[in-house]
Amino acid sequence: MENANVLQFEKPSFFERLKGMLGVDFYRLFHTPLFYIFIAIAAFIPALVLMGGAQGENAMYTNAWQIIAADSPLYVISNMGQYANMNMVFIFGGIMVSIFIGHDYQSGYVKQLFTTHAKKQDYMISKTLLGAFSMLCMCVTYMIGGMISGAAAGLPFQINAGALLCAILGKMIMSLGWASLYTFINIIFRRKFGISIALCFVLGTGIPVIGAAALVGNSPALNIFLYGSSVYACLSANFISVLVCLACSVVWAAIYNILGTIVLYRRDVY
Amino acid sequence: MNAIEITNLHKNFGEKHAVDGLDMTVPEGAIYGFIGENGSGKSTTEKCICGLIPPTSGQIKLFGKDHKDGEARGKIGVLIEAPGCFPNMSVWNNMKLQAANLGIKNENEEIRRVLHLVRMDGAASNKFKNCSLGMKQRIGIAFALLGTPKLLILDEPINGLDADGMRIMREILADLTKNHGCTVLISSHILGELEKIATHYGIIRGGRMLKEMTAEELNASCPTYVYIKAADMNKALAACNNAFARVEFDEDKDEIRIYDKLSAEDVASYLYSNFGIAVTELGTAKISLEEYYIDLMKEGK
Repeated sequence: MENANVLQFEKPSFFERLKGMLGVDFYRLFHTPLFYIFIAIAAFIPALVLMGGAQGENAMYTNAWQIIAADSPLYVISNMGQYANMNMVFIFGGIMVSIFIGHDYQSGYVKQLFTTHAKKQDYMISKTLLGAFSMLCMCVTYMIGGMISGAAAGLPFQINAGALLCAILGKMIMSLGWASLYTFINIIFRRKFGISIALCFVLGTGIPVIGAAALVGNSPALNIFLYGSSVYACLSANFISVLVCLACSVVWAAIYNILGTIVLYRRDVY
Repeated sequence: MNAIEITNLHKNFGEKHAVDGLDMTVPEGAIYGFIGENGSGKSTTEKCICGLIPPTSGQIKLFGKDHKDGEARGKIGVLIEAPGCFPNMSVWNNMKLQAANLGIKNENEEIRRVLHLVRMDGAASNKFKNCSLGMKQRIGIAFALLGTPKLLILDEPINGLDADGMRIMREILADLTKNHGCTVLISSHILGELEKIATHYGIIRGGRMLKEMTAEELNASCPTYVYIKAADMNKALAACNNAFARVEFDEDKDEIRIYDKLSAEDVASYLYSNFGIAVTELGTAKISLEEYYIDLMKEGK
């Protein structure tokens, strides 16, 4: 049984490992209907929001861009309709990430992934980037859908272009933080992705932060949370709010990735 | 070098010791038959090797390196429990995913190669969920073969395969070990099939290695015997017990087994000439792996 040739194994670099994992995730993303369904849903949400909004003197939206972001940060909301801006993408993004990761476990494909990839952080990083990319695409289709719906409803489009750009950029940046949170939730619940979806919905709608805001008031201190920063990216946003979103998103992404990696190392992955 | 070297492996699930101080050595180039009852710890051990579950304690080395290192992990082909394919994707797209996972460059050519090996060329465009059990098992094997792995870990790969599938499987494994320097760890309850291909065996019970041996050692432990059947089995058994040193009666097959160096014809002629017993059926056989395993399990209980 002795083999004359001594086996040589190459130690893959971090980028080589990540490339392999991302290759798998993105191939699956583009070859299953899930992604396309969700970006289509994101495009339709603004129309539904507008149809549900009050018309005439009580109109909830007086400007088309309000479908994308509120005029100012709304930590405390008084009307369910105030949820209805691009933050909706983060709720649906959570559902998409839950289904995507849930299928990894349900199909048993994680066996292949974790056999090949000894470093568990590869999985966390790859899924976070995939989730962030998906939500980013959903933000774009939401924006297009919002513009079309706004135009169809005859709403005006006047706005400070810089503030609008900061608001959209801030929301898009938040995709990274939200994706890492959803990935973390899903590696906790794995195959039970019904629980993950419910939890993503609760966190995505910002219920805990809205609850906290009801107690502490409309405080910018709530920007340390993902939902807080997400609403901070509003139509009166500026360069500072973009930086706040960036810092919040990156820090939470790092925290959830580290926590998720620890969980994956300590628990049975399959 | 050993492909797998496990020292004092423990894996507890709460109070249950699924693997309890297991030592195991799989030499490079071997086809290692990993045998044990249900719940003996085979799958848990295999999952520990693949890094799917963290061991409670103990050491696992793959080709001399810690299994957590990841250097050898990219060269492991796995089929544990089920293939792990996405049911709504086509077989081809599932294979493409795994090729991307392994970083295979000429993936289309490689996928065609492995699908051809398992005679599944025609199933590439089928959705995985529409494949039959046997087809799924073959696809699972193709999955594990992608990129010509250096270590193949197969958990019950023969289940669901038809006779042709089993033959193909034997040919593939023989080719992989002989021509590609691959090592195979294979667990199966179909011991007759395993006996045809394995070069080494490991028998596990209660999470501990009961016995490790080579096929040659197993061969030496499994003596040849003469079996006979007679019209009056009681008289024949009494006569054999008087005449031969080691005689056993197999109740399942209703036959007398004589462990001696005599030929079957010599035994028949001896019984007829000395005791007037007419033998109705006779022949020579060898203790099979299955019989050896059952005896070993009985001894331990």
